[in-house]
Amino acid sequence: MAEQTFALPDLGEGLVEATVLEWLVRPGERVERNQPLVELETTKSAVEIPSPCSGTVVRLHASEEETLRVGAALVTFEVDSAAGIVGTVPGGERPTRRVRLRPPAE
Amino acid sequence: MSADMYQTLPGPVPLRYARLGPSHASRPPVVLLHGFGSDFESGWVRTGWVRALEEAGGEVVGLDLRGHGGSARPHTPDAYLPEVLAGDVARLLDALGVGRADVVGYSMGARLGWEFAARFPGRARRVVLGGFGPSDPFADVDPASPGSGEAPFDRVFRAAVAAPGADPVALTACVRGQMSRPFSPDPAPVGVRLLLVAGERDALAEGMEALAAPGRGDAVVRIPRRDHLTAVSAQAFKRAVRDFLSAESPSFRTS
Repeated sequence: MAEQTFALPDLGEGLVEATVLEWLVRPGERVERNQPLVELETTKSAVEIPSPCSGTVVRLHASEEETLRVGAALVTFEVDSAAGIVGTVPGGERPTRRVRLRPPAE
Repeated sequence: MSADMYQTLPGPVPLRYARLGPSHASRPPVVLLHGFGSDFESGWVRTGWVRALEEAGGEVVGLDLRGHGGSARPHTPDAYLPEVLAGDVARLLDALGVGRADVVGYSMGARLGWEFAARFPGRARRVVLGGFGPSDPFADVDPASPGSGEAPFDRVFRAAVAAPGADPVALTACVRGQMSRPFSPDPAPVGVRLLLVAGERDALAEGMEALAAPGRGDAVVRIPRRDHLTAVSAQAFKRAVRDFLSAESPSFRTS
């Protein structure tokens, strides 16, 4: 078991910050990888961020309606496995749900 | 969603689409129709909808409407008439061999869902209209210069043309095409159940309750503290849609 902090990922489209609309988990709660973690609002749209790992939520680093810069601490987990979680959102879990936060370049 | 998830529907106006999840004999696929200035990725993937619908075990068809995302971008208003967009949806379902589908549309995509259900009887089973009401969103918009005013849609337009990769000429043509056919609740789609959902602070969905016919099993959901932009990702919206699409009995209600 180890604590890992997950930062606000790059949301693409030149967005540098986002505001917390609603937390979907609470400290002490067990979460599964890819479970919805938080809804954010950017100047352009709403975004749902999935959990990058399975584990237990230790700390939420922003309150609702608070604005965060990309790269700022978002949530700290006590994780089951440390595989590839710091500051990134996982790219491909299952072939049917590859979710990428940056849209294709036009 | 990675780029190779997408396929192209060929034709005079090629359209980019994605078909995801397992198909079922017993349950129609869900067609997701995004709003003005958005695309499938921004409207439905980044907001967690595809994740939620796949978890519920459903098949999803996502389309970039013409003028948007990875689809072709005609520059004439006639190319964006509501009936033309509805024809795109029918053409895609034909190509996929889908006879009947559930439709979830947001904002302009909701208008399109209504149009599709009204023009192609029997092709839509249940229709979700999100962020949409019977009042004219273009009432105070200058067709010569959309985005120049302070109507709620002017703000939507400005955000849309400012997005990377947007085509302002195509988006302006789209507005003019949509404006030339003001929405009328009559005739309503026949043989279809409707769910109306919007943020309680969504000015563009004003009066949406009037579009619901409770006797037909329609339902209405208002999402607390959300507006036109932020209602899209709301868990309450996703739950309402999952319940609505999976309910067997026409007595389904929600508050």
